[in-house]
Amino acid sequence: MTALLQAALPNAARPAVVIVGILYFAVIVGISVWAARKTRTAADFFVAGKGIGLVALTVASVSVSVSGFAFIGGPGFIYAVGLGAMYIVLPAAVTNVMGAWVLAKRMRLLGEVRALITIPDAIGARYRSRLAQGISAAAILVGIVGYMATNALAMGVVINSIFGVGLGWGIWIGMGVTLAYSASGGILAGIYNDVFQGTLMAVASVLVFLFVLDFGGGLGAISRTILAHDPALLGPWGKITPLAALSFFFVFSMGSLGQPQAVHKYYMLRDPLQLKWYPLLKTLGLVLVLLLYFGVGLGVKAFVLNGRLPELASPDQATPALLLNVTPLILAALVFSGVAAATMSAANSFINIGAAIVTHDLPIALGRPVKNELGWGRGVTILIAVAAAITAQQSGTMVAFLGIFGWGLFASTLVPALAVGLNWQGATRAGAIASIATGLIVTLALETAAYLKVFTFPAGVTASAVAMVSSFLVFFIVSWLTRRNALIEIDPDVRLVMEV
Amino acid sequence: MTRSETADPARNRDTTRRAALIALFVAITAIAAAYGAAFSKSDTPSWAPWLLAVGIPVALGAIMILGAARGREGIGSLKVPFAFVVVVLIIGFGAALALPATEGPLSKLWLGLPARAAIVIYGVGLLPIIVLPVAYALTFETQTLTAEDLERIRILGRERESQSHDNGAQAGLDKVRG
Repeated sequence: MTALLQAALPNAARPAVVIVGILYFAVIVGISVWAARKTRTAADFFVAGKGIGLVALTVASVSVSVSGFAFIGGPGFIYAVGLGAMYIVLPAAVTNVMGAWVLAKRMRLLGEVRALITIPDAIGARYRSRLAQGISAAAILVGIVGYMATNALAMGVVINSIFGVGLGWGIWIGMGVTLAYSASGGILAGIYNDVFQGTLMAVASVLVFLFVLDFGGGLGAISRTILAHDPALLGPWGKITPLAALSFFFVFSMGSLGQPQAVHKYYMLRDPLQLKWYPLLKTLGLVLVLLLYFGVGLGVKAFVLNGRLPELASPDQATPALLLNVTPLILAALVFSGVAAATMSAANSFINIGAAIVTHDLPIALGRPVKNELGWGRGVTILIAVAAAITAQQSGTMVAFLGIFGWGLFASTLVPALAVGLNWQGATRAGAIASIATGLIVTLALETAAYLKVFTFPAGVTASAVAMVSSFLVFFIVSWLTRRNALIEIDPDVRLVMEV
Repeated sequence: MTRSETADPARNRDTTRRAALIALFVAITAIAAAYGAAFSKSDTPSWAPWLLAVGIPVALGAIMILGAARGREGIGSLKVPFAFVVVVLIIGFGAALALPATEGPLSKLWLGLPARAAIVIYGVGLLPIIVLPVAYALTFETQTLTAEDLERIRILGRERESQSHDNGAQAGLDKVRG
């Protein structure tokens, strides 16, 4: 996502691109009006009344798992460092099914027995602790602030590129449309817009991948060109160190268990028995959406090396350069709309989760639950969106910094307490609270120190990885030290869910 | 039921989960050691990536076992796909670390990629996709969730709901009386 911010997408405002862009927004508005009419309660607003079918949930989940980074920054990263950039997406082979085994069943059953609607709800129920619920809610909220500002800016960049309206207006238009459907139809509008957006992304990705293979004479010919000029790009680590590549794999595999925009979806499935096909469908969907990441990154490198494309001003120009110089314009239009879809889908999901935290989790943690959660939810949704749009108008460097730590913060604060805690009765309240606090403090401290250049990480080590390892170790050690309390801290219904 | 199970059923029931937890803790410690080594004043030691290459697959396998273990039956037939995926990841990362760098214009290509890259992209990136989600679907009823499990949970949920209604009604009555 950060790379997307710096990409400064070229102006793509051609008639075909603008028409497809307008059609895209028209469909979004249509879906949102329909969803708004169906949203009547807080459960409808935050978890779609637990009534989403398997296919819709799967496509929506794919959509929120992929940000604009997969379409712009990712291919640019492959262009720059070769196959080392693949370690960000290779974990998709295991993460969906791992999430299904570790979290999906337990979260969905907790939702069944306790009518839970948020992730901090699940943590609060597991450890019978308002403090654990509150601190996890605060941690998620910090991550969302960063993600939202970054997504708002990314939306502005993409909309400016499609319609040529300027970055400031691009931010307000993108956030305005997202806000309209978030505030009126809540997560129901979000889910069905995600279905549309995810389908659009998959179609665009597959078509571009096939085009690149055809244009380049197949993967073998593309590889031959790269091997003749710069063989290190096709080494197993590309141009990054093995430690850095494996770190990506660690953070993006284990960390996937703590991403609220994906985990929150487990509550929404209408019939828990439909989970059976969820990992298979989601994995296949993700593979389709990520074909562009791999194909464009390698393809454009080969086309530049053999002179079929001019040298790029920056690696992030890889996708735009291909779309605007080589592919049919209608394909470019689809991909630009796909990028807008990716950013709006992620923004909607985060707005909804943020609103649930402010109106549901934090008041519960403070012992003052809100009575009209639906009304407050809509109000807070507007506040979060406006705050994100205003923040995004500020310095790009500051917004980029906010976006950096989102994934790592969610991973280090939630994975041990939630993913391990729901599957280990020996985990304790003290262990969970200490682990969440460790993840929050270590991530913020290390990212801030690195941003201010007070401290430089050795090659291959990231703040996210260090924070996640630290929170895991603290979780195990504190739970072991306080193990006497473990079993008495679990309510009987939660224990049944953990034992099923 | 075997003698040992009769003697200490709780202990027997937790064997799989306990083993998975120990494996997860050891793997995370190994990953921490690899990062710690990277902070040394000289270059990162050559063994540090190996700790990640083994520690990451073991951690992922352990957490999947933790999630899939079902009481006394443990992980049942899932031990085969889990072992397969952990081994594939270790071999994939290990081969990338151990094999000499021979990529060049004349390299033999495997499905369009040089050998070491093909091992990583197709082995680490694609083989688990073929095995894990299919194993999840095939064992869903025996290992993950049955209609009976769901019914038990739903009965419990209804009991909780009626209990909270009763408590609410009682509180209302107390308020009126008080």
